[in-house]
Amino acid sequence: MSNQDETPEKAPKPAPENPLRKKLPEEVPAEAPEASRTEASETPKTEASEEPETEPEQAGPTLSGRQRLVNGLWPPRLSRAQFIVALLLFGLGFGLAVQVASNSDGDGALRGARQEDLVRILDELDDRTQRLEEEKRGLEDQRTELENSSDQAEEARKQTVEKEKQLGILAGTVAAQGPGITLTIDDTKGAVEADMLLDAIQELRAAGAEAIQVNGVRVVASTYLTDANGGGVSVDGNKISPPYRFKVIGRPQDLEPALNIPGGVVQTLEKEQATVTVERSDKIVVDALRPAKQPDYARSSSS
Amino acid sequence: MIAVLGLVVGVLAGLLVRPEVPAVVEPYLPIAVVAALDAVFGGLRAMLDGIFDDKVFVVSFLSNVVVAALIVFLGDKLGVGAQLSTGVVVVLGIRIFSNAAAIRRHVFRA
Repeated sequence: MSNQDETPEKAPKPAPENPLRKKLPEEVPAEAPEASRTEASETPKTEASEEPETEPEQAGPTLSGRQRLVNGLWPPRLSRAQFIVALLLFGLGFGLAVQVASNSDGDGALRGARQEDLVRILDELDDRTQRLEEEKRGLEDQRTELENSSDQAEEARKQTVEKEKQLGILAGTVAAQGPGITLTIDDTKGAVEADMLLDAIQELRAAGAEAIQVNGVRVVASTYLTDANGGGVSVDGNKISPPYRFKVIGRPQDLEPALNIPGGVVQTLEKEQATVTVERSDKIVVDALRPAKQPDYARSSSS
Repeated sequence: MIAVLGLVVGVLAGLLVRPEVPAVVEPYLPIAVVAALDAVFGGLRAMLDGIFDDKVFVVSFLSNVVVAALIVFLGDKLGVGAQLSTGVVVVLGIRIFSNAAAIRRHVFRA
Protein backbone atom coordinates (compact mmCIF):
# COMPACT_ATOMS: atom_id res chain seq x y z
CA MET A 1 0.00 0.00 0.00
CA SER A 2 2.78 2.35 0.90
CA ASN A 3 4.31 1.64 -2.46
CA GLN A 4 1.32 2.99 -4.20
CA ASP A 5 1.72 6.35 -2.58
CA GLU A 6 5.46 6.52 -2.74
CA THR A 7 6.11 5.67 -6.32
CA PRO A 8 4.42 8.55 -8.04
CA GLU A 9 6.59 10.94 -6.07
CA LYS A 10 9.78 9.02 -6.49
CA ALA A 11 9.37 8.12 -10.09
CA PRO A 12 9.37 11.60 -11.56
CA LYS A 13 12.50 12.68 -9.74
CA PRO A 14 14.92 9.97 -10.72
CA ALA A 15 13.49 9.75 -14.20
CA PRO A 16 15.94 12.22 -15.74
CA GLU A 17 19.07 10.45 -14.52
CA ASN A 18 18.29 6.71 -14.58
CA PRO A 19 14.85 5.52 -13.63
CA LEU A 20 15.72 1.85 -13.93
CA ARG A 21 18.49 1.91 -11.37
CA LYS A 22 16.37 3.63 -8.81
CA LYS A 23 13.23 1.69 -9.41
CA LEU A 24 14.11 -1.93 -9.85
CA PRO A 25 15.42 -2.96 -6.47
CA GLU A 26 12.41 -1.90 -4.51
CA GLU A 27 9.46 -2.41 -6.76
CA VAL A 28 10.03 -4.94 -9.47
CA PRO A 29 9.51 -8.54 -8.29
CA ALA A 30 12.15 -11.17 -8.10
CA GLU A 31 12.75 -11.57 -11.77
CA ALA A 32 13.34 -7.92 -12.38
CA PRO A 33 17.04 -7.71 -11.60
CA GLU A 34 17.75 -10.63 -13.84
CA ALA A 35 15.51 -9.26 -16.48
CA SER A 36 17.33 -6.01 -16.50
CA ARG A 37 20.50 -7.89 -17.28
CA THR A 38 19.08 -10.13 -19.94
CA GLU A 39 17.22 -7.36 -21.65
CA ALA A 40 19.74 -4.69 -21.31
CA SER A 41 19.20 -3.67 -24.84
CA GLU A 42 15.65 -2.74 -24.05
CA THR A 43 16.57 -0.27 -21.38
CA PRO A 44 15.89 2.76 -23.50
CA LYS A 45 12.42 1.47 -24.15
CA THR A 46 11.68 1.06 -20.47
CA GLU A 47 12.90 4.53 -19.87
CA ALA A 48 10.59 5.76 -22.54
CA SER A 49 7.70 3.86 -21.11
CA GLU A 50 8.00 5.73 -17.88
CA GLU A 51 7.86 9.05 -19.61
CA PRO A 52 4.18 8.95 -20.61
CA GLU A 53 3.27 8.52 -16.98
CA THR A 54 4.58 11.89 -16.00
CA GLU A 55 4.16 13.64 -19.31
CA PRO A 56 1.35 11.99 -21.23
CA GLU A 57 1.43 14.53 -24.06
CA GLN A 58 4.89 13.41 -25.11
CA ALA A 59 3.73 10.24 -26.91
CA GLY A 60 6.46 9.40 -29.37
CA PRO A 61 7.15 6.36 -31.50
CA THR A 62 8.23 4.48 -28.37
CA LEU A 63 5.81 1.93 -26.92
CA SER A 64 3.76 2.69 -23.86
CA GLY A 65 2.75 0.02 -21.36
CA ARG A 66 -0.68 -0.12 -22.79
CA GLN A 67 0.57 -0.58 -26.31
CA ARG A 68 2.85 -3.35 -25.16
CA LEU A 69 -0.07 -5.07 -23.50
CA VAL A 70 -2.10 -4.84 -26.68
CA ASN A 71 0.84 -6.06 -28.72
CA GLY A 72 1.33 -8.98 -26.40
CA LEU A 73 -2.29 -9.98 -26.64
CA TRP A 74 -2.83 -9.56 -30.35
CA PRO A 75 -1.88 -11.07 -32.68
CA PRO A 76 -1.20 -14.37 -30.88
CA ARG A 77 2.35 -15.51 -31.30
CA LEU A 78 3.24 -19.17 -31.25
CA SER A 79 6.49 -19.12 -29.38
CA ARG A 80 8.00 -21.51 -26.88
CA ALA A 81 7.85 -18.83 -24.22
CA GLN A 82 4.13 -18.34 -24.76
CA PHE A 83 3.53 -22.05 -24.41
CA ILE A 84 5.51 -22.36 -21.23
CA VAL A 85 3.78 -19.38 -19.69
CA ALA A 86 0.45 -20.77 -20.83
CA LEU A 87 1.28 -24.05 -19.16
CA LEU A 88 2.12 -22.34 -15.89
CA LEU A 89 -0.97 -20.19 -16.04
CA PHE A 90 -3.00 -23.29 -16.77
CA GLY A 91 -1.63 -24.78 -13.56
CA LEU A 92 -2.45 -21.60 -11.68
CA GLY A 93 -5.98 -21.43 -13.02
CA PHE A 94 -6.53 -25.09 -12.28
CA GLY A 95 -5.27 -24.77 -8.74
CA LEU A 96 -7.30 -21.64 -8.21
CA ALA A 97 -10.51 -23.20 -9.44
CA VAL A 98 -9.95 -26.40 -7.48
CA GLN A 99 -9.23 -24.49 -4.31
CA VAL A 100 -12.24 -22.25 -4.76
CA ALA A 101 -14.45 -25.22 -5.53
CA SER A 102 -13.24 -27.26 -2.56
CA ASN A 103 -13.62 -24.22 -0.34
CA SER A 104 -17.11 -23.34 -1.39
CA ASP A 105 -18.80 -26.71 -1.26
CA GLY A 106 -20.02 -28.50 1.82
CA ASP A 107 -19.87 -26.42 5.00
CA GLY A 108 -18.61 -23.43 3.15
CA ALA A 109 -20.88 -21.15 5.12
CA LEU A 110 -19.23 -22.06 8.42
CA ARG A 111 -15.70 -22.20 7.05
CA GLY A 112 -15.53 -18.47 6.58
CA ALA A 113 -17.32 -17.58 9.79
CA ARG A 114 -15.53 -15.82 12.62
CA GLN A 115 -14.88 -17.48 15.92
CA GLU A 116 -17.45 -15.49 17.88
CA ASP A 117 -20.07 -16.30 15.29
CA LEU A 118 -19.19 -19.95 15.50
CA VAL A 119 -19.45 -19.91 19.27
CA ARG A 120 -22.81 -18.17 19.06
CA ILE A 121 -24.08 -20.65 16.50
CA LEU A 122 -22.89 -23.49 18.68
CA ASP A 123 -24.66 -22.03 21.70
CA GLU A 124 -27.86 -21.62 19.77
CA LEU A 125 -27.64 -25.18 18.55
CA ASP A 126 -27.06 -26.39 22.09
CA ASP A 127 -30.09 -24.47 23.34
CA ARG A 128 -32.17 -25.80 20.53
CA THR A 129 -31.01 -29.35 21.19
CA GLN A 130 -31.89 -28.97 24.84
CA ARG A 131 -35.34 -27.62 24.04
CA LEU A 132 -35.99 -30.40 21.60
CA GLU A 133 -34.75 -32.97 24.09
CA GLU A 134 -37.18 -31.64 26.68
CA GLU A 135 -39.99 -31.70 24.20
CA LYS A 136 -39.07 -35.23 23.25
CA ARG A 137 -39.03 -36.32 26.86
CA GLY A 138 -42.46 -34.80 27.45
CA LEU A 139 -43.87 -36.49 24.41
CA GLU A 140 -42.37 -39.80 25.41
CA ASP A 141 -43.94 -39.51 28.86
CA GLN A 142 -47.24 -38.76 27.23
CA ARG A 143 -46.86 -41.74 24.96
CA THR A 144 -46.05 -44.05 27.85
CA GLU A 145 -49.05 -42.75 29.70
CA LEU A 146 -51.32 -43.32 26.74
CA GLU A 147 -49.89 -46.76 26.16
CA ASN A 148 -50.47 -47.68 29.79
CA SER A 149 -54.00 -46.37 29.78
CA SER A 150 -54.77 -48.09 26.52
CA ASP A 151 -53.25 -51.26 27.93
CA GLN A 152 -55.48 -50.94 30.95
CA ALA A 153 -58.49 -50.24 28.79
CA GLU A 154 -57.66 -53.24 26.68
CA GLU A 155 -57.28 -55.41 29.76
CA ALA A 156 -60.57 -54.17 31.15
CA ARG A 157 -62.24 -54.81 27.84
CA LYS A 158 -60.89 -58.35 27.76
CA GLN A 159 -62.11 -59.00 31.26
CA THR A 160 -65.46 -57.57 30.37
CA VAL A 161 -65.73 -59.80 27.34
CA GLU A 162 -64.72 -62.78 29.43
CA LYS A 163 -67.25 -61.93 32.08
CA GLU A 164 -69.91 -61.34 29.48
CA LYS A 165 -69.32 -64.82 28.16
CA GLN A 166 -69.53 -66.36 31.60
CA LEU A 167 -72.63 -64.43 32.42
CA GLY A 168 -74.01 -65.18 28.97
CA ILE A 169 -73.71 -68.87 29.69
CA LEU A 170 -75.60 -68.43 32.95
CA ALA A 171 -78.19 -66.18 31.37
CA GLY A 172 -78.52 -68.42 28.36
CA THR A 173 -77.67 -65.77 25.81
CA VAL A 174 -74.67 -67.62 24.42
CA ALA A 175 -74.17 -71.22 23.37
CA ALA A 176 -72.01 -73.42 25.55
CA GLN A 177 -70.19 -76.65 25.17
CA GLY A 178 -68.30 -78.96 27.42
CA PRO A 179 -68.43 -82.34 29.17
CA GLY A 180 -71.71 -83.38 30.67
CA ILE A 181 -74.57 -85.81 30.46
CA THR A 182 -77.67 -86.40 28.43
CA LEU A 183 -80.74 -87.30 30.44
CA THR A 184 -83.56 -88.79 28.46
CA ILE A 185 -86.96 -89.32 30.08
CA ASP A 186 -89.32 -91.29 27.86
CA ASP A 187 -92.84 -91.00 29.16
CA THR A 188 -95.22 -93.12 27.16
CA LYS A 189 -98.05 -92.98 29.72
CA GLY A 190 -98.10 -89.23 30.19
CA ALA A 191 -97.45 -89.63 33.87
CA VAL A 192 -94.52 -87.24 34.12
CA GLU A 193 -95.54 -83.82 35.29
CA ALA A 194 -93.85 -80.49 35.49
CA ASP A 195 -92.90 -80.79 39.15
CA MET A 196 -90.95 -83.94 38.42
CA LEU A 197 -88.99 -82.23 35.69
CA LEU A 198 -88.41 -79.32 38.02
CA ASP A 199 -87.07 -81.74 40.62
CA ALA A 200 -84.71 -83.14 38.02
CA ILE A 201 -83.53 -79.65 37.10
CA GLN A 202 -83.05 -78.72 40.75
CA GLU A 203 -81.12 -81.88 41.34
CA LEU A 204 -78.91 -81.18 38.34
CA ARG A 205 -78.33 -77.62 39.50
CA ALA A 206 -77.46 -78.82 42.95
CA ALA A 207 -74.94 -81.19 41.42
CA GLY A 208 -73.22 -78.32 39.65
CA ALA A 209 -74.85 -78.19 36.25
CA GLU A 210 -73.77 -75.05 34.46
CA ALA A 211 -75.94 -75.04 31.37
CA ILE A 212 -79.10 -76.97 30.75
CA GLN A 213 -81.44 -77.24 27.84
CA VAL A 214 -84.46 -79.41 27.51
CA ASN A 215 -85.92 -80.23 24.12
CA GLY A 216 -84.48 -77.08 22.57
CA VAL A 217 -85.41 -74.74 25.42
CA ARG A 218 -82.66 -73.18 27.49
CA VAL A 219 -83.14 -73.53 31.20
CA VAL A 220 -82.00 -70.52 33.18
CA ALA A 221 -82.64 -69.06 36.62
CA SER A 222 -86.00 -67.61 35.72
CA THR A 223 -87.22 -70.69 33.91
CA TYR A 224 -90.61 -71.94 34.99
CA LEU A 225 -92.34 -75.19 34.22
CA THR A 226 -96.05 -75.80 34.06
CA ASP A 227 -98.24 -78.67 33.07
CA ALA A 228 -99.54 -78.05 29.61
CA ASN A 229 -103.17 -78.69 28.62
CA GLY A 230 -103.60 -82.04 26.95
CA GLY A 231 -100.45 -83.67 28.28
CA GLY A 232 -96.88 -82.59 28.09
CA VAL A 233 -95.09 -79.81 29.89
CA SER A 234 -94.65 -76.18 29.14
CA VAL A 235 -91.22 -74.69 29.74
CA ASP A 236 -91.14 -70.90 29.75
CA GLY A 237 -94.32 -71.02 27.76
CA ASN A 238 -92.94 -73.42 25.16
CA LYS A 239 -94.84 -76.66 25.09
CA ILE A 240 -92.63 -79.67 24.95
CA SER A 241 -93.63 -83.27 24.70
CA PRO A 242 -91.96 -86.56 25.63
CA PRO A 243 -89.42 -87.84 25.34
CA TYR A 244 -87.82 -85.12 27.42
CA ARG A 245 -84.20 -84.82 26.50
CA PHE A 246 -82.00 -82.85 28.89
CA LYS A 247 -78.61 -81.72 27.74
CA VAL A 248 -76.58 -80.78 30.77
CA ILE A 249 -73.06 -79.37 30.98
CA GLY A 250 -71.28 -80.07 34.20
CA ARG A 251 -69.02 -82.62 35.80
CA PRO A 252 -70.42 -85.99 34.63
CA GLN A 253 -69.04 -87.79 37.67
CA ASP A 254 -71.13 -85.51 39.89
CA LEU A 255 -74.22 -85.24 37.75
CA GLU A 256 -74.88 -88.92 37.16
CA PRO A 257 -74.73 -90.07 40.79
CA ALA A 258 -76.86 -87.10 41.79
CA LEU A 259 -79.63 -88.38 39.58
CA ASN A 260 -79.17 -92.01 40.59
CA ILE A 261 -79.15 -91.68 44.35
CA PRO A 262 -81.71 -93.89 46.10
CA GLY A 263 -85.00 -92.06 46.30
CA GLY A 264 -83.71 -89.56 43.82
CA VAL A 265 -84.94 -88.34 40.49
CA VAL A 266 -84.41 -91.51 38.51
CA GLN A 267 -86.13 -93.76 41.05
CA THR A 268 -89.04 -91.38 41.41
CA LEU A 269 -89.56 -91.23 37.65
CA GLU A 270 -89.21 -94.96 37.21
CA LYS A 271 -91.89 -95.34 39.87
CA GLU A 272 -94.17 -93.42 37.46
CA GLN A 273 -93.41 -95.93 34.68
CA ALA A 274 -91.11 -93.59 32.81
CA THR A 275 -87.93 -94.80 31.17
CA VAL A 276 -84.90 -92.86 32.25
CA THR A 277 -81.47 -93.08 30.60
CA VAL A 278 -78.41 -91.16 31.59
CA GLU A 279 -75.46 -90.93 29.22
CA ARG A 280 -72.16 -89.36 29.95
CA SER A 281 -70.49 -87.47 27.14
CA ASP A 282 -67.24 -85.57 26.69
CA LYS A 283 -68.90 -83.03 24.51
CA ILE A 284 -72.33 -81.67 25.15
CA VAL A 285 -73.44 -78.69 23.07
CA VAL A 286 -76.05 -76.45 24.60
CA ASP A 287 -77.01 -74.22 21.74
CA ALA A 288 -80.55 -73.16 22.59
CA LEU A 289 -80.50 -69.43 23.32
CA ARG A 290 -82.62 -66.96 25.15
CA PRO A 291 -82.84 -63.38 24.06
CA ALA A 292 -80.97 -60.99 26.33
CA LYS A 293 -83.49 -58.91 28.16
CA GLN A 294 -82.75 -55.37 29.20
CA PRO A 295 -84.30 -54.56 32.52
CA ASP A 296 -86.65 -51.62 32.25
CA TYR A 297 -86.00 -50.08 35.65
CA ALA A 298 -83.13 -51.75 37.33
CA ARG A 299 -79.76 -50.18 36.56
CA SER A 300 -76.36 -51.32 37.61
CA SER A 301 -75.41 -49.46 40.76
CA SER A 302 -71.71 -49.91 40.18
CA SER A 303 -69.93 -47.60 37.77
CA MET B 1 -2.65 -14.37 -25.89
CA ILE B 2 -1.92 -18.05 -25.58
CA ALA B 3 -0.92 -17.42 -21.96
CA VAL B 4 -4.31 -15.87 -21.22
CA LEU B 5 -5.98 -18.77 -22.99
CA GLY B 6 -3.99 -21.12 -20.77
CA LEU B 7 -5.33 -19.38 -17.67
CA VAL B 8 -8.91 -19.52 -18.89
CA VAL B 9 -8.62 -23.14 -19.88
CA GLY B 10 -7.08 -23.93 -16.50
CA VAL B 11 -9.95 -22.32 -14.60
CA LEU B 12 -12.53 -24.08 -16.77
CA ALA B 13 -10.79 -27.42 -16.36
CA GLY B 14 -10.64 -26.97 -12.59
CA LEU B 15 -14.33 -26.10 -12.45
CA LEU B 16 -15.44 -28.90 -14.74
CA VAL B 17 -13.24 -31.71 -13.48
CA ARG B 18 -13.56 -30.79 -9.78
CA PRO B 19 -10.89 -33.17 -8.61
CA GLU B 20 -10.60 -34.08 -4.98
CA VAL B 21 -7.66 -32.25 -3.46
CA PRO B 22 -5.32 -34.83 -1.97
CA ALA B 23 -5.01 -34.45 1.76
CA VAL B 24 -1.23 -34.09 1.51
CA VAL B 25 -1.45 -31.09 -0.81
CA GLU B 26 -4.48 -29.46 0.79
CA PRO B 27 -2.77 -27.07 3.23
CA TYR B 28 -0.29 -25.88 0.61
CA LEU B 29 -2.60 -25.31 -2.32
CA PRO B 30 -4.03 -21.93 -1.21
CA ILE B 31 -0.60 -20.51 -0.39
CA ALA B 32 0.83 -21.91 -3.61
CA VAL B 33 -1.98 -20.29 -5.57
CA VAL B 34 -1.36 -16.93 -3.91
CA ALA B 35 2.36 -17.21 -4.57
CA ALA B 36 1.70 -18.06 -8.19
CA LEU B 37 -0.63 -15.09 -8.42
CA ASP B 38 2.16 -12.89 -7.14
CA ALA B 39 4.51 -14.26 -9.80
CA VAL B 40 1.90 -13.67 -12.49
CA PHE B 41 1.36 -10.07 -11.44
CA GLY B 42 5.09 -9.55 -11.35
CA GLY B 43 5.37 -11.01 -14.82
CA LEU B 44 2.56 -8.83 -16.11
CA ARG B 45 4.20 -5.78 -14.71
CA ALA B 46 7.55 -6.77 -16.22
CA MET B 47 5.82 -7.18 -19.55
CA LEU B 48 4.34 -3.73 -19.31
CA ASP B 49 7.75 -2.41 -18.39
CA GLY B 50 9.11 -4.15 -21.42
CA ILE B 51 11.54 -6.26 -19.48
CA PHE B 52 9.62 -9.50 -19.52
CA ASP B 53 11.66 -12.64 -19.90
CA ASP B 54 10.01 -16.02 -20.05
CA LYS B 55 12.87 -17.86 -18.37
CA VAL B 56 12.82 -15.48 -15.44
CA PHE B 57 9.06 -15.79 -15.24
CA VAL B 58 9.16 -19.56 -15.16
CA VAL B 59 11.85 -19.64 -12.52
CA SER B 60 10.14 -17.03 -10.36
CA PHE B 61 6.77 -18.74 -10.71
CA LEU B 62 8.07 -22.14 -9.70
CA SER B 63 10.34 -20.86 -6.96
CA ASN B 64 7.54 -18.73 -5.52
CA VAL B 65 5.25 -21.74 -5.35
CA VAL B 66 7.88 -24.02 -3.91
CA VAL B 67 9.10 -21.52 -1.33
CA ALA B 68 5.58 -20.67 -0.23
CA ALA B 69 4.71 -24.34 0.19
CA LEU B 70 7.99 -24.91 1.99
CA ILE B 71 7.30 -22.11 4.44
CA VAL B 72 3.88 -23.47 5.24
CA PHE B 73 5.29 -26.97 5.60
CA LEU B 74 7.98 -25.70 7.93
CA GLY B 75 5.42 -23.69 9.87
CA ASP B 76 3.28 -26.79 10.30
CA LYS B 77 6.27 -28.72 11.59
CA LEU B 78 7.18 -25.92 13.99
CA GLY B 79 3.61 -25.56 15.20
CA VAL B 80 3.15 -22.04 13.88
CA GLY B 81 1.60 -23.05 10.58
CA ALA B 82 -1.39 -20.75 10.81
CA GLN B 83 0.60 -17.66 11.75
CA LEU B 84 3.31 -18.34 9.21
CA SER B 85 0.87 -18.89 6.38
CA THR B 86 -0.88 -15.68 7.39
CA GLY B 87 2.47 -13.92 7.22
CA VAL B 88 3.19 -15.38 3.79
CA VAL B 89 -0.19 -14.29 2.54
CA VAL B 90 0.33 -10.80 3.91
CA VAL B 91 3.72 -10.43 2.27
CA LEU B 92 2.51 -11.80 -1.03
CA GLY B 93 -0.55 -9.59 -0.79
CA ILE B 94 1.59 -6.49 -0.35
CA ARG B 95 3.67 -7.48 -3.36
CA ILE B 96 0.58 -8.14 -5.41
CA PHE B 97 -0.78 -4.74 -4.45
CA SER B 98 2.40 -2.90 -5.40
CA ASN B 99 2.60 -4.76 -8.70
CA ALA B 100 -1.04 -4.07 -9.33
CA ALA B 101 -0.41 -0.39 -8.66
CA ALA B 102 2.39 -0.31 -11.23
CA ILE B 103 0.25 -2.17 -13.76
CA ARG B 104 -2.57 0.22 -13.15
CA ARG B 105 -0.31 3.17 -13.81
CA HIS B 106 0.78 1.61 -17.04
CA VAL B 107 -2.66 0.72 -18.26
CA PHE B 108 -4.74 3.64 -17.07
CA ARG B 109 -1.94 6.16 -16.69
CA ALA B 110 -3.28 7.06 -13.33
